[in-house]
Amino acid sequence: MKREHKHRPVLKFILSAIVALGGLFLLQRLLVPKYVDGIVEGAFVAEYYKEEKDFDVIFIGDCEVYENFSPIVLWEQYGINSYIRGSAEQYIWQSYYLLEDTLRYETPEVVIFNIQSLQFDVSQNEAYNRMTLEGMEWSPAKVKAILASMKPGEKFLDYVFPILRYHSRWSELESTDLRYLFDTKKVSHNGYYMRVDVRPAENVPEGRILADYSFGENAWKYLDMMTELCEEKGIELILIKAPSLYPYWYEEWEVQVEDYAAEHNLKYINFLELTEEVGIDYSLDTYDAGLHMNLSGAEKLASWLGNFLKEEIGLLDRRGEEALAASWKEKIADYEAEKQAQYEKYGMTGEK
Amino acid sequence: MKKLVSVLMAAAMILCMAACGNDEKVIGEEAQSGAQSGEAQSGQSGSQGSYNGYAFTAGGTTVQVDADFAPVLEKLGEPLSYFEAASCAFEGLDKTYTYSGFQIITYPDGEKDCVSTIVLKDDSVSTAEGVSIGESKERLQEVYGSGSEEGNMIVYAKGDMKLCFIMQNDEIASIEYRSKVLEV
Repeated sequence: MKREHKHRPVLKFILSAIVALGGLFLLQRLLVPKYVDGIVEGAFVAEYYKEEKDFDVIFIGDCEVYENFSPIVLWEQYGINSYIRGSAEQYIWQSYYLLEDTLRYETPEVVIFNIQSLQFDVSQNEAYNRMTLEGMEWSPAKVKAILASMKPGEKFLDYVFPILRYHSRWSELESTDLRYLFDTKKVSHNGYYMRVDVRPAENVPEGRILADYSFGENAWKYLDMMTELCEEKGIELILIKAPSLYPYWYEEWEVQVEDYAAEHNLKYINFLELTEEVGIDYSLDTYDAGLHMNLSGAEKLASWLGNFLKEEIGLLDRRGEEALAASWKEKIADYEAEKQAQYEKYGMTGEK
Repeated sequence: MKKLVSVLMAAAMILCMAACGNDEKVIGEEAQSGAQSGEAQSGQSGSQGSYNGYAFTAGGTTVQVDADFAPVLEKLGEPLSYFEAASCAFEGLDKTYTYSGFQIITYPDGEKDCVSTIVLKDDSVSTAEGVSIGESKERLQEVYGSGSEEGNMIVYAKGDMKLCFIMQNDEIASIEYRSKVLEV
């Protein structure tokens, strides 16, 4: 009886700590953005961790990868198992650390990096930082990614305890914050963000004159690191420029990338120069006037790229692998279901 | 037990209050509610009446950086061309209005579109102080003073905006009135 009494304060302390920390955890879960409706791009990075990680091809980069290439077509037409680790305005240091993060789980044969982000030498916007970094699982790569990305005024601790940054979201909570308190719904197709609607490209402005067309030292540093890491791991790094018409891609930038690729013996594909060969029609294949491809454009690009990966890189067709094929069967069903749902949403019910 | 819980909750509140000291808006809120950035949302730095930056005048219409573009558009009339672009993962559109000799780019700020940048494209227009594309660095500095040089650009900051002159071979190649609101 006495012994029980003696342990009571310790038990009380442990229980109290559990209740208090549990409460804070719940509060944090409630307050962080869920990215399941509307702006879903903040959920892309985290979705990768639920996958069976055995990909032949990993894409890294900004919206020019996650909106422009359909991994489903790569599988259906070529048996290439691919995943897009893309996020909105993903800066090159984030791409690099996402690659490091990916290599903790698997070593793909090919990494495809979209070079649009070379134009940034420092992070531009905290919102974009958070949409990439918060979805990463904790690892040295995430810590380094945060440290490389933080803008002046941002605090590392705010990434460790997001409640510190989101505490004032309480007044904007929605039913989805409760519904997805512990789990979330899938919002991408192997990292691909689908849009089926059409908005032709018209009146796309020419680029403004820049004071300096050179990419910054920091951007080059991370491209060098990416090149070295891929070389060290025996991965074929392919640089691409997606055929997005805006933001403007300057000839001065193109020359720098071409020179870099030649110097480092890397393959570089500028899809802006291949639109005819790929069959891109900017009056049909974009949903936002040339910034990003719609489904039709993303499928055309994937079809061309798949052939390139097969013919030039020698990637093998894996459609004969039973377990993998079964997994893709489910993914294709989800893809087709969303396709139909979007055709209905955008009043395009006559589409296939 | 109550005491301990209270202490932990108080500690949490203090942490949250400390975070409140950061005057930027919480990003998740604006991302989900559709504003482009917290700074943009709260940026009303150039509202008419209190404007103290450089302004551009075209055909008797004054255009101020960060001001609501709707009344300006009404006065300027239909542009030669119009383009709108959604930022990745944000609702709202950045809009580009091209007129003869200049371009106006806006950013969404709640229900309004505010002027983020005015770009002078050729020498058919000039700044309100009388400087236009093609003129020399000497002429520029005669009118505006020395400014701060950022590579090939000479910048004159005033209020919450910057007037930027991009130089090529010691001649003005482009002139831009830029908001600082979206830079933070």
